[in-house]
Amino acid sequence: MSPTAIYGFLTHGIVFGAFVALLQLGSKRRILALAAIPVALVAGIASFMHGIIGTPSLTLLALAIWQLAGRTPSPLAYRPALILIAFALPFYAMALGLGPLDPYALGYQPLPLLAASIPLAALLWWRRLDCWLLILALDLAGYASGLISNLWDALFDPLLVLVALAVVIGQHVRSSVASSG
Amino acid sequence: MTLPRWLLPLLFVLAVAGAAWRAPTPSAPAFLPPPALAKNDAPASFAAAMLPTAAPSAHAATLAELPDGRIAAAWFAGAREGAADVAVWFTTLDAGAWSIPRQIATREGTADATLGFVRKIGNPVLYAEGTRLHLWYVSVALGGWAGSSLNHSVSQDDGRTWAPPARLQTSPFLNISTLVRAPPLQLADGGLGLPAYHEFIAKHGEWLRLSADGMIIDKVRMVHDQRTLQPAIAALDERHALAILRDGGPGPGRIRSATSDDGGQHWTAANALPLPNPNASVAMLRLHGGRLLIAGNGAGNRNQLLLWISDDDGKNWRPAPTVENLADPNAEFSYPALLQARDGQIHLAYTWRRQGIKHAAFNEAWLDGGTP
Repeated sequence: MSPTAIYGFLTHGIVFGAFVALLQLGSKRRILALAAIPVALVAGIASFMHGIIGTPSLTLLALAIWQLAGRTPSPLAYRPALILIAFALPFYAMALGLGPLDPYALGYQPLPLLAASIPLAALLWWRRLDCWLLILALDLAGYASGLISNLWDALFDPLLVLVALAVVIGQHVRSSVASSG
Repeated sequence: MTLPRWLLPLLFVLAVAGAAWRAPTPSAPAFLPPPALAKNDAPASFAAAMLPTAAPSAHAATLAELPDGRIAAAWFAGAREGAADVAVWFTTLDAGAWSIPRQIATREGTADATLGFVRKIGNPVLYAEGTRLHLWYVSVALGGWAGSSLNHSVSQDDGRTWAPPARLQTSPFLNISTLVRAPPLQLADGGLGLPAYHEFIAKHGEWLRLSADGMIIDKVRMVHDQRTLQPAIAALDERHALAILRDGGPGPGRIRSATSDDGGQHWTAANALPLPNPNASVAMLRLHGGRLLIAGNGAGNRNQLLLWISDDDGKNWRPAPTVENLADPNAEFSYPALLQARDGQIHLAYTWRRQGIKHAAFNEAWLDGGTP
């Protein structure tokens, strides 16, 4: 099996553990979340997630580790989640055949994307978004390692976008409950 | 623990430098057309026989010539298309007899090697490149064939043993909807150009450029105004190539085409060929003499398997002898695969009534109307 397959399988186990860490499990939450990782790997949950979702992004891995470490709040707050959704939805639509352009192809020879990441990194540094700058560096290092063949796949994936969607919807639900109360 | 702030830009610079070092910067692509060989003056010959049966339902054959001149065939077979027991089967033609088929890819083996759930496998493509025999095939975790991912395995011993398959990352959304049907073309830089297609929501051809070490380094879309599938491509020279595609309906009911004049970097939709296509797979081959040969179905259904020849790089086509022709509209002779061996013999394999794979071997004299 390839290093990419091993990375994807293990990361889905970690992501499953991070999802368990989101549950209201009281004081045992972290222990149960960490215990969920080997369970996911052995019971076929990680294999199923890997088969359906594909290789997870390094951004998702970083956020999952953040969650498992019990660090709060998550860097994936309302605004970054909204930005991710606004970028990913048209990106996926075009990559799946809407229109003649396939933005995904840019990720196979990503020098222009890497050039664009430099002002993005400067912006993150200037806005003191240190977590996101660290995650961006991790994504690029993951691509440099050869684990991931297309740079876009290091940056985001459908499961991460789904989590972002949950963050945005959850924020709106909480706001509407608060305003009605 | 908090990292000192000055460390973050340093980490980023190191990461971006590493990524830039690793990013492929390939030269402009060019095809490596097969060398033109002298026409063989042998008398017309044609022989056809069924391949050994592997399972009740068989489909989607592919052919390759091994370094020692043997012809290899692979196809998928099982209880029925899409069943859990479907495997990719492999056989070789040695001294006029096909070997007993054996499985070279299974659902379980693919799941084990890729560490991911697999529900079914399908369409294989074989390609012999020096001493390496490539196998690409599709696998599905969820849904129908539109949810396919692409897997790749290599044999270094003419198909006796195979390296564990690796899943290729070809799509950002669940890595779905990249399928293959036709063999790749050799590129001048040592890489390959693999015809592929997408069929989730939109249906169109694709061109995957692979580096000499098998990495995907480019992906190009073949856009048509209507649905197209399953490109088969022939290089005309270093820069020019012709792609023919299955009409994915509702189209003109003819074989669709696209051309490239820059080594596959861009593909432009061209007029549909004056050849029928009932939404069925087609195969194309550039013969050693430079002529083009197409195998495909007739207008009505898949009950005719026909051949056409072009002497002028695909501008004009004329019919060659018919391979199969039954009045029964439910009869199916489909999914042809073509190969011309180094000895000039042309090999055709196709799905025969979904019950098995039939192989025909003939020469150019037979194509030109000679009687065996």
